[in-house]
Amino acid sequence: MPTAESKESAGQLLDELYLDMFHLIEEHTKCRINIERTNASGAILLARTKYQQGGSTISTAQIPTENSGEFNALCRVVSRTRDVDPKTSMEISIERHMVDKENGYVEPLHWFSVLPPMSLRGAVLKFKDCIELVVESTNLQRELNTVLRSIGKLRQYVARQ
Amino acid sequence: MALHSAIRGKLISVIGDEDTCVGFLLGGVGEINKNRHPNFMVVDKNTAVSEIEDCFKRFLKRDDIDIILINQNYAELIRHVIDAHTSPVPAVLEIPSKDHPYDASKDSILRRARGMFNPEDLVR
Repeated sequence: MPTAESKESAGQLLDELYLDMFHLIEEHTKCRINIERTNASGAILLARTKYQQGGSTISTAQIPTENSGEFNALCRVVSRTRDVDPKTSMEISIERHMVDKENGYVEPLHWFSVLPPMSLRGAVLKFKDCIELVVESTNLQRELNTVLRSIGKLRQYVARQ
Repeated sequence: MALHSAIRGKLISVIGDEDTCVGFLLGGVGEINKNRHPNFMVVDKNTAVSEIEDCFKRFLKRDDIDIILINQNYAELIRHVIDAHTSPVPAVLEIPSKDHPYDASKDSILRRARGMFNPEDLVR
C-alpha cells in the first residue's frame, strides 16, 4: 500500500527528472546549432574549393564505392564508462588513427586532390570539429533518452497509485 | 587482406547529401569493410525513399556502427522508421544540411520529450 510519503518522494523525483530534461534539451539544441554552424563553415570552404579547382574536383565521383578496395575509418567512437554512475551511463569519445596505407588507413584528402588547396584543408578541419560536436551531441541525446525513460516509468508508477 | 582484425571502437555512419557525405568522409569517418559494405550513403534527387529506408535499416542491424548521422530532410522521409527506433545504440542524429537548417520541432528525441509534458497530464 503506497503511503503519502512515497507519493511525495515520487513527485519530488519526477520534478528533478523534468528539470534535468529541460537542461538537457537546452544543451542538446545548443549543440545542434553549433553542428549547423560548423557544418555550414565546412560547406562554404568546400564550395570555395569547387570554385577555384572546378566543380568536378569535389564530388561523389571521387568517393570510394562498393567496387573500391576496403579501407578503415581513421576516426572511431570508443566508449568510456563514466565515473559518476558507471552502471547507467556510458560516454563516448573519438579516437583517431594515424594514416597507415599498408594497414588500410588511407588519407581521405588524397581521393580529391594530390596537392589539396588551403580551402580544402580548412574544410577538413571544420568537419573534424563537427565530428567532435556530433559525439558531444550523442552523449547528450543518450542522457536525455535515459531521463525520458525514467520519467515514463515513474509516471506509470504514480498513475498506478 | 585482413585489415579489420582487432580494431578498437565503433563507426559513425552517414546518410546525407553530397556535401555532408564528402565533408564527414574528409573528417575520416568513412570505411568500406571486408564485405565491401560502406558506412555511408550519398542521397541525390534520383534516390528513392525505399533505398534510404533500406540503408538506414541495414545500418541499424550492423553491430559495428554506434552513430547514424542523417540529414534532417531525409530523416523526414523515413520518420516512421526513425521513430520506431528507441534503443540508445546506435544513436540516430538528425543533422542539418546546407539547404535545410536544423528544425528542433522535427527531431525525434525532442518530440518524445515534448510528449512528456502534455498539459492534460499535468492537470491530472
